[in-house]
Amino acid sequence: MKLNKNLIKIYESDASRLKGNAKEVVHPRNVAEVRGAVANSARVVVRGAGTGLAGGAVPQNGMDVVLDMSKMDGIHGFDKERNTVEVEAGVILDELQGYLARFGLEFPVNPSSHAVATIGGMIATDAVGSRAIKYGKTSNWVKWVEIVDGYGEVHKKGITELSDYSGMEGITGVIVRACLKLAPRKDRSATLVKVESLEDVVSVVRELKRNSAVSMIEFFDKGISKELELGEGYHLIVEYESPRDDPAGPDGAGALTGKEYEDLIKLRDRVYPFVAGEGYTRIEDPKIMIDRFVKLMTWLEARKIPVFGHVGVGILHPCFNHDQEKLVPEMMALVKRLGGQVSGEHGIGVLKKGFVEINDQKILRNVKKRTDPLNKFNVGKVV
Amino acid sequence: MPSDKPSKADRIAAANLMEEASEVFDNCISCGMCKSLCPVFKILKEERVSPRGKGIVLSDKVMDKILFECTMCKACEEKCPLNIKVCEAVMKGREAMVLKGRGLKSNEEMIENVRKCGNPFGDKDVKDPEKLYCC
Ligand SMILES: Cc1cc2nc3c(=O)[nH]c(=O)nc-3n(C[C@H](O)[C@H](O)[C@H](O)COP(=O)(O)OP(=O)(O)OC[C@H]3O[C@@H](n4cnc5c(N)ncnc54)[C@H](O)[C@@H]3O)c2cc1C
Ligand code: SF4
Ligand code: SF4
Repeated sequence: MKLNKNLIKIYESDASRLKGNAKEVVHPRNVAEVRGAVANSARVVVRGAGTGLAGGAVPQNGMDVVLDMSKMDGIHGFDKERNTVEVEAGVILDELQGYLARFGLEFPVNPSSHAVATIGGMIATDAVGSRAIKYGKTSNWVKWVEIVDGYGEVHKKGITELSDYSGMEGITGVIVRACLKLAPRKDRSATLVKVESLEDVVSVVRELKRNSAVSMIEFFDKGISKELELGEGYHLIVEYESPRDDPAGPDGAGALTGKEYEDLIKLRDRVYPFVAGEGYTRIEDPKIMIDRFVKLMTWLEARKIPVFGHVGVGILHPCFNHDQEKLVPEMMALVKRLGGQVSGEHGIGVLKKGFVEINDQKILRNVKKRTDPLNKFNVGKVV
Repeated sequence: MPSDKPSKADRIAAANLMEEASEVFDNCISCGMCKSLCPVFKILKEERVSPRGKGIVLSDKVMDKILFECTMCKACEEKCPLNIKVCEAVMKGREAMVLKGRGLKSNEEMIENVRKCGNPFGDKDVKDPEKLYCC
């Protein structure tokens, strides 16, 4: 069905709230339809759930055909022996978790957008999430991907070539299917820890990281803690996990279990929308070593920029309001001086293009040229 | 049943309703969380029918029949972290469309059937036509 201009507009933005222009929208139902759409289009932008925060799925210049992958939501090939499952790119993470629960398994990478984010989008952004301290990035849990190239041909790419597609934000081809590795589901509990100073945050985080049962350390600054009614001071959500029904009991379990635990985790998932709702809509995701945390935080606090994040792996989410947005380049320069990365999880997309180092740009351009010689996919993004 | 040309009063009322519906999305941050439980999105799997999609259309004060692709279940409102009243806005949008004579033909037929036959199917063999009945 051809969409009218008013409806095409729905596909011209994502959670970054950047706006673009698309030529057309296609909703492929299977690999053959993806192949056809790609072969017949000069420019293609792949869209998963459109929860990206860097504008990666926003079409440019009215030339792009948007491929919305949502209809490709098949889950096949569950292998109980190997603990793997094959999924189409449009499968929503929570729907996959629902399917896997009956086998006592889960996909352990858990971005806060889990209720809507697609597996294709997660692989393309190499999504991280609150349990990164234990499970790392999405790509750590991908065995192979099947992709469609600019000519409409299908290829299977294993571990050695995965990095040409994972974290490449759709500039190298369309991920249509993937084989995912799975982990046993865990019993989880959590504790809310109040911390008085930034220096104490560093020492508490260092201490917690020595405990192998800790699966999440999430940070809230003073302002956010107060707004969320957690109380005065900084706060950490610390999650612990143990094998299901472990007779030895959990190793260093948190105080909150069951519904109380779930409510705390839900609260964590709602922090960005909450902060954005207060006008701090530009969310960034710098990644720094924990020993540089105080320096970056001091800079951000002096400018009244609210911060939360996956402090266990050094990813922070400073959120800027309209007036503060002009400070983003200054913060990025500081992050680089501190030896950090400008994006820890959301990707470069359009928003962070200007902050990619020259050497990284060269590498990315080479990958793009090699994998997408027709220069068809997500033109104008990342590099 | 072709709709009559809308009166001036209806046109004004429709414009006001669209204005109100559009304002509902002033604080929407486009996060997309509202589609997680949307039954229409779950079945059709197209962003255009998602609550966020309806929000984009309504923000632009556009009358499109996607506003009728909604069960009015409010699951989107339940999920929205910012309490955006998506469903309420969709309702206003629908009202405006009806006032402008752009309601769904099938809905108009159903109403007409209820008026004439006391049931939405236009079934004349109803025992007691005074009584309304549904499925
Ligand atoms: C409230 C909220 C919380 C979030 N929390 C986290 C978090 O904790 N951790 C985190 O890492 N991110 C987080 N994000 C960002 C976002 O959810 C992730 O980047 C997610 O992986 C994007 O998935 P998507 O399906 O929405 O992809 P989209 O936004 O649709 O696309 C993202 C990029 O991937 C490309 N792409 C999508 N599908 C494919 C495909 N099949 N083949 C090739 N390229 C493709 C697109 O072109 C685009 O460049 C959050 C976002 C929101 C709104
Ligand atoms: S969940 Fe609420 S804020 Fe997010 S896109 Fe939907 S209506 Fe907008
Ligand atoms: S009220 Fe409509 S838009 Fe909202 S969840 Fe229900 S069907 Fe979807």
